[in-house]
Amino acid sequence: MNGRNVIDTHGPGGWGNEVAQRLIHHAARNAPPPLAERLGEEWLADLAARRGQVTRVLFALGCCWATNVIAREHCALNVSAATAATGSTTMTTQVLPNLTFLPRRTTVLIAIVGLHVAIIYAFATGLAHRLIEPLQGPMTVDFLRDPKPLQTPQPLPNIDLYRAPQIDLGQAPLIDTGERGPDTITLPVPPVVAPLPPQRPTPPPVKRVSGGPGKGFPATDDYYPAASIRLGEQGSAAIQVCVDPSGKLTAEPQVMKSSGSSRLDEGALRLAKAGSGHYRATTENGTPVSSCYGYLITFNLK
Amino acid sequence: MGKGDRDVRMSLQTLKVLEAFLNEPADELSGADVQKRSGIASGTLYPILLRLESAGWFVSRWEAVDPASVGRPRRRLYRLTPTGLTRASEVFASFGRGVPA
Repeated sequence: MNGRNVIDTHGPGGWGNEVAQRLIHHAARNAPPPLAERLGEEWLADLAARRGQVTRVLFALGCCWATNVIAREHCALNVSAATAATGSTTMTTQVLPNLTFLPRRTTVLIAIVGLHVAIIYAFATGLAHRLIEPLQGPMTVDFLRDPKPLQTPQPLPNIDLYRAPQIDLGQAPLIDTGERGPDTITLPVPPVVAPLPPQRPTPPPVKRVSGGPGKGFPATDDYYPAASIRLGEQGSAAIQVCVDPSGKLTAEPQVMKSSGSSRLDEGALRLAKAGSGHYRATTENGTPVSSCYGYLITFNLK
Repeated sequence: MGKGDRDVRMSLQTLKVLEAFLNEPADELSGADVQKRSGIASGTLYPILLRLESAGWFVSRWEAVDPASVGRPRRRLYRLTPTGLTRASEVFASFGRGVPA
């Protein structure tokens, strides 16, 4: 082929061009012999007019297919001509060329590579996620309340810890002065009674309302890890936050209960941090106080 | 392939190829030019070109250039024959589309 050397020397480089040229040479070799040289040169010339690596490879693949079609038609023409000349159909098997324009092994290899590319493409673009999307429910965010509601502390029982034991005055010991006789005086010891402390007042019941995400809290969707979306991961992570009366975090949020995915846990922590300043503080009798509480962040695919 | 004014099976792709030529019947077009005008993939285009050439509707020749001087291989140029022009016009007329302007 005249065009082969020309295009190898002057044609643009790149993997696509290299592959396309190989495919075209291969296709031309499998074309009917009278057309092989012509088609090879013609296709290489038209390949040179293409721009883009992928376009060139697609063009060359099309030429492989064209070879198959041309070979069939050429074969059919030969058979009909031979049949008309001899009146016999026995030449059919002799005239039919090998119509496989790619070796079986190459075909299988191309099919396997194509399948892998399709699967990788599906995962990379989230196609798999879109396929299972109809099976998913709407995304919901549930906030975890305190597992046990805080109860108003019970008033302390009136236990008198300071009451001194009563001393039985009737059994008062006698004081021996060491002398005997009428000078002996027995004095009763006056009872000693400790003063009772004043009773402590009963504290009034405290009405405590646990805090949670408040107005302006970031949307969960914005912190859904992209990798988890692609992989279709869903789950809920319980996060503990410590919040001051103004709704700002006073400590790093902690994962109380994992969602089962480190990616989702990370996303939940980032959301919890981003929400600093937008938390509702816990109130006691209506007054915001510093507190720590947990809540649930749920990542659900829509 | 032998020449002869044979009937050609008219598919949509064949009509597109003919339409690409009928726009400028005197033009000589390479396969790449036809593909650009008709938008047909190479796997379909070249069998159609050979089929029409074999049927006597087209003639083809090599481009008269020196590949070494132009830095690319020679192109194969196709042109409608008078028979091809007549038959193609008849085909379009029978479809009620008329000859493309």
